[in-house]
Amino acid sequence: MDFAFSSDQDDFRLALRRFLTDKSPLSQVRASSATELGYDVALWRQMSDQLGLPGLHLPEEYGGSATGLLEPAVVLEETGRALTSSPYTAGLLASLAVLRLGSEQAQKDLLPGIATGATVATLAMTELASPTGASALQTTALSRDDGVTLTGTKTLVEHGHSADVLLVSATSEGEVGLYVVQGDAAGLTRTRQDALDLTRPVAEVRLQGTPAVPLGQPGGLEELVDLACALLASEMVGGIEACLAMATAYAKTRRQFNRPIGSFQAVKHRLAEMVVGLDGARAAAMYAVHVANAGGAELGAVAPLAKAEASDAYTFAAGWNIQLLGGIGFTWEQDAHLYFRRAWTDSALYGGPAAQRARLADRIGL
Amino acid sequence: MDISYPPEAESFRTRVQAFLGEQLPAGWAGIGALPETEREAFRESWRTILAEHQMLAVSWPTEYGGAGLSHLEQVVLAEEFAKAGAPQGSENDTFGIGMLGNTLIKMGTEAQKQHYLPRILSGEQRWCQGYSEPEAGSDLAGIRTSAVLDGDQWVINGQKTWTSAGQLADHIFVLARTDAGAPKHKGISFLLVPMDQPGVEVRPITNMAGYALFNEVFFTDARTGAGEVVGAVNDGWRIAMALLGFERGVTATTDAIRFRGDLDRLIALARERGLTSDPRIRDRLAWCHGRVEVMRFRGYQALTRSLSGQPLGPESAISKIIWSEYFQAYTELAMEILGPEALAATGQPTGGMLQMPEAGTANSPRSWVETFLAARAGTIYAGSSQIQRNIIGEQLLGLPKEPRLDSGPFRELASRRG
Repeated sequence: MDFAFSSDQDDFRLALRRFLTDKSPLSQVRASSATELGYDVALWRQMSDQLGLPGLHLPEEYGGSATGLLEPAVVLEETGRALTSSPYTAGLLASLAVLRLGSEQAQKDLLPGIATGATVATLAMTELASPTGASALQTTALSRDDGVTLTGTKTLVEHGHSADVLLVSATSEGEVGLYVVQGDAAGLTRTRQDALDLTRPVAEVRLQGTPAVPLGQPGGLEELVDLACALLASEMVGGIEACLAMATAYAKTRRQFNRPIGSFQAVKHRLAEMVVGLDGARAAAMYAVHVANAGGAELGAVAPLAKAEASDAYTFAAGWNIQLLGGIGFTWEQDAHLYFRRAWTDSALYGGPAAQRARLADRIGL
Repeated sequence: MDISYPPEAESFRTRVQAFLGEQLPAGWAGIGALPETEREAFRESWRTILAEHQMLAVSWPTEYGGAGLSHLEQVVLAEEFAKAGAPQGSENDTFGIGMLGNTLIKMGTEAQKQHYLPRILSGEQRWCQGYSEPEAGSDLAGIRTSAVLDGDQWVINGQKTWTSAGQLADHIFVLARTDAGAPKHKGISFLLVPMDQPGVEVRPITNMAGYALFNEVFFTDARTGAGEVVGAVNDGWRIAMALLGFERGVTATTDAIRFRGDLDRLIALARERGLTSDPRIRDRLAWCHGRVEVMRFRGYQALTRSLSGQPLGPESAISKIIWSEYFQAYTELAMEILGPEALAATGQPTGGMLQMPEAGTANSPRSWVETFLAARAGTIYAGSSQIQRNIIGEQLLGLPKEPRLDSGPFRELASRRG
């Protein structure tokens, strides 16, 4: 019985937290998010070259460190806490798609570049009528003698306007699969969207007879969505911790009625509820990532569960953080709204809590 | 990360399962499946079996007649008993063995251990807890029951309340004020008091669910020996808090097992009524499933911490809030599932359990309504949800306390309050 991160993983977490605190304060996150690319290229190089983050979980033969998924979960918690502006999450999810669903050729072609951070890869799955992007798709794949072309529109594609490689979900003869589309492919129109989340750039991606290569055999996308949900839950845990820390620090120093506002139970008890929400979300996210790492059919139930629990806790914490900060919390300059925006974005990606509970209900045989 | 139990724990589990298989009656489905008239007799005989097999005082060292089990073995045992729906003793044993016995072993004198532990174990003495008072609920240190030395005896006057199983007890451990001139936490002593004397009167209180399971206990010049103090005179607050630490014990992993069993019952109730296809009910049942799973995962965390030697800390306040608020939420869902059936409910009653019904209780509307009513107590007893939130805010987050209005000698506070 050892249901906790190891001391090595804890050390790694602290080192990464120091790195991000130093290199990527929220002022820097805001500035780099506002650039055309939408992230800090110099920071991404350091995350890749110095820390080797994008390849942590990848096999050694492709230049990775073969750590398993617990280390990436730690990275997500920390980048979620810092709202780090980088294509790490996009690349992680894309690389897991390649690793789990890709042909050997696709793995050889794509993983070495992802591992070094030289290739920015992303999943292009979500459609307006399909939050998970794993079923009920409008995007279609057409096979002809000279290859496959895709037609359709994807939305909320993380770093979609700048990614080198997009893994696009599409339907072909009733089967959903992923297809590899190069960023400079013909018939590809990519437009950065005016997103709720200011610190993670997303794009609409239009495909009009765009040439593509199947990533591997069709199928397996539900499991990929489960992986994404488990990992997003970890990212949300970091965000909840940030909101709690921000609100707690303020409650200890802000004085009204000649006492710190944190001494009022109306304030103290909301903070305690944030702790309770965080604690449940952390346990659920950790368990989901543990199952994702160890492999097992249980992921189908625990991933939507972790995503729903983390969503509820994050939107609660991010909302109450603003409320407890008072008027200053409602300003553009204060960082609270960055977390509020991320909370509601993470919550909705791949399906909100109600959608996750519907998936959960199906999977536990309700 | 690894959530499996070590092999020695699993082999112990097999032994416990074998014991339960051999000793429980054939076709055992839980106490709730027994006719009401047979339950008391079963509890008595089961307690005897547990005592004979050293399965009763599992947390006590063997030198005092306990099983001397490791923490992990106690957890495994509690899990298997919970899965089988088998009790680990009577309600008085919770107070006598789990709380007082462990407190005496840790903080009592050798004479107290030699005198009390065998009598608790044999069932000769049945204990209850004299903590809360009408004027001292959340503010437990505000107790007014007094004890004054008269020769070689304490003379006790005052009133305790919410005394669970007090009607079945013949001994009570009492927090009493022994120095009203000291600040409120500093003038309390922890006394052991026999109840079969003229100065002690027990009056039942009927709770809102209609059951009389707790009591008021009145002390009018009641007496106990001068030596019947655990710890030093006026150091009773420390003893009282240590005892509450034993209350939390090994429930970390069993909460999830017991709530899982009752959620399965609720899902069956919904299914019988064709409601598992209703999207609103499905959503709420899935939410319940999530909460019970969170309890399971948190149980693994707590077990990991305790096996690595870390003490239980203020995070147990989080556990209390999670289970007690979930308890209300899912029993409220039961009311929604039952609809009009809940409003004049029929079928097997629960017998008044303050948590879930006994395993084996029929899935009756009445059992759900009684449990729904009982759930209101969960967020009040053993530290209300508001007190738990104070603990989390002050001890985990380090938030400042409210300005104190209760410093100084207790005597002056009490007179100010009138």
